[in-house]
Amino acid sequence: MAEEYERTEEQGELESEDQPTHVMEGGGSGTEAEEYQYHTGQQRDHGSDDAIEFIDVKKSFGRNTILNGLNLGIPDNMISMILGPSGTGKSVCIKHMVGLLYPDEGDVLVHGESVPNMADDDLFEMRKKFGVLFQDGALFGSMNLYDNVAFPLRQHTDKGEDEIAEIVNRRLKEVGLGGAGDKMPNELSGGMRKRAGFARALVLDPQIVLFDEPDSGLDPVRTALLCELIKEIHEENGGCYVVITHDIMSARRVAEYIAILWKGRIVESGPAQELFNSDNQFVRQFLSGEAKGPLGME
Amino acid sequence: MGRTWLAVPRDWVASLGDIAKFAARDFYEIFGGRVFKFFGEALRQAGILILGSTLVIWSTTFILGLQCGIEGAYFNRSVGAPAYAGVFSAWCDLREIMPYAFGYMMAAKVGTGLVAEIGAMRISDEVDALEVMGISSMTFLCATRLLASWMVLPFMYIAAVGAGFFASYLAVVQQIGEVSSGGFFLIFWMFQNPPDLLYSLIKGMTMATFIVIVGAYYGYTASGGPVGVGTATAKSMVLNVVGVHLVGMLGTQIFWGSNPRAPIGG
Repeated sequence: MAEEYERTEEQGELESEDQPTHVMEGGGSGTEAEEYQYHTGQQRDHGSDDAIEFIDVKKSFGRNTILNGLNLGIPDNMISMILGPSGTGKSVCIKHMVGLLYPDEGDVLVHGESVPNMADDDLFEMRKKFGVLFQDGALFGSMNLYDNVAFPLRQHTDKGEDEIAEIVNRRLKEVGLGGAGDKMPNELSGGMRKRAGFARALVLDPQIVLFDEPDSGLDPVRTALLCELIKEIHEENGGCYVVITHDIMSARRVAEYIAILWKGRIVESGPAQELFNSDNQFVRQFLSGEAKGPLGME
Repeated sequence: MGRTWLAVPRDWVASLGDIAKFAARDFYEIFGGRVFKFFGEALRQAGILILGSTLVIWSTTFILGLQCGIEGAYFNRSVGAPAYAGVFSAWCDLREIMPYAFGYMMAAKVGTGLVAEIGAMRISDEVDALEVMGISSMTFLCATRLLASWMVLPFMYIAAVGAGFFASYLAVVQQIGEVSSGGFFLIFWMFQNPPDLLYSLIKGMTMATFIVIVGAYYGYTASGGPVGVGTATAKSMVLNVVGVHLVGMLGTQIFWGSNPRAPIGG
């Protein structure tokens, strides 16, 4: 029953903030073949097992089709990036991975387990594998930074306060917020909130870390620093990191694997260097940020 | 042209159905025992309720108790029975004014506060953050608050009734002074007994439960950014005020409608 409310909410949020610029069913133009002419769907070999798989996932909100037969594998132990134009369903992808949204058709697998078919208790257990950095950090406004980062440890472990303090202070130091534990979220800048959210996402040593547009609202230097931080922490901890963005500079800096999403399907996916050298017109246009090409303002 | 005049009542019925399902889920989280995983949070919410709402609720009931006493005293004087002012205080305070005053203040202070707090958490992704940490947001945010209200509000309500009684006594005996303290209390206690207090408490707690559920529902399902939270707050206030009057009316009918429980007549 809770999922119903969540779905309602997500729908509302999407309508207001993530409205796709295209309507594929009932309002689209041209045939499907024309619409998806650049979508080779090619998945280049990445030499690793998939931690997360999307299998023919379809998701609509009202008449707006967001994911339209999405097939995607996210490799384990790599930093993967899902790139794509605004409003193309990147955040919807993340929400499917953690079971905040369910597909209308198709399946989403995390380490081989079907997320939509999990019972509530299994779903909550599965989510402990994840750390998620939301766009604005999503820190709890009623707690200071220290308590925000300590919150998952207090809820999910039997660790004593001394041990929790040791872990929290280490994580805060890693993200450059060593002395800011007693600050409230509203006293922090956007970049600090993101770093604090990152510390909280890492505190349970998750196997999969999701980043929802970590560069949004940050200046180029802070974006570069955050990207470096993501790389450093991934080198240290390993695991599957998935970054959602439309910032090509960030992709060049951190991505080991790239998937390009457009109109609800993957255009192409593969190791970063191969994608940057792709012959696909859409991929080339998007990764070079040029105005001319298949992607217009519509 | 697509939407007929039936669309509006249909939306209302759909919303009420959603709220009923939400309430059922909330009750399940409490009576199924899952809320006790977050008992610390329930205690924290109880503390917030005590510190944030007690004084304002008691102040309101005190003021309305004064008003009830003054009006009762002057009315009884006008019909030549000033010694019976205690009847007015006993009935008016306990059966009607206190539950309504409690309901209004709960709706204005606690209900809107819940919508604003949970709604703000919803639009800033804090609810999703809870979920992806493997914590049921429904249990952590909604069930804990309902449990906290059940732990705190019965005591707060009974004390609020006491504040109203004390105010009526001050108005009738000390301010207007047409009846002695002993005369006032003789009549005052003659026209009420412990079951009346229990019935009044049931009215108050039903209102409180309704208000907490409606507040939590509108906060939990808020969408559309800060404007959406504002709209949800307004909607919750309207529904809560309607709900308070419905509970008040039905409560009076059920508890005292067929038997006024008064030592008068045959």
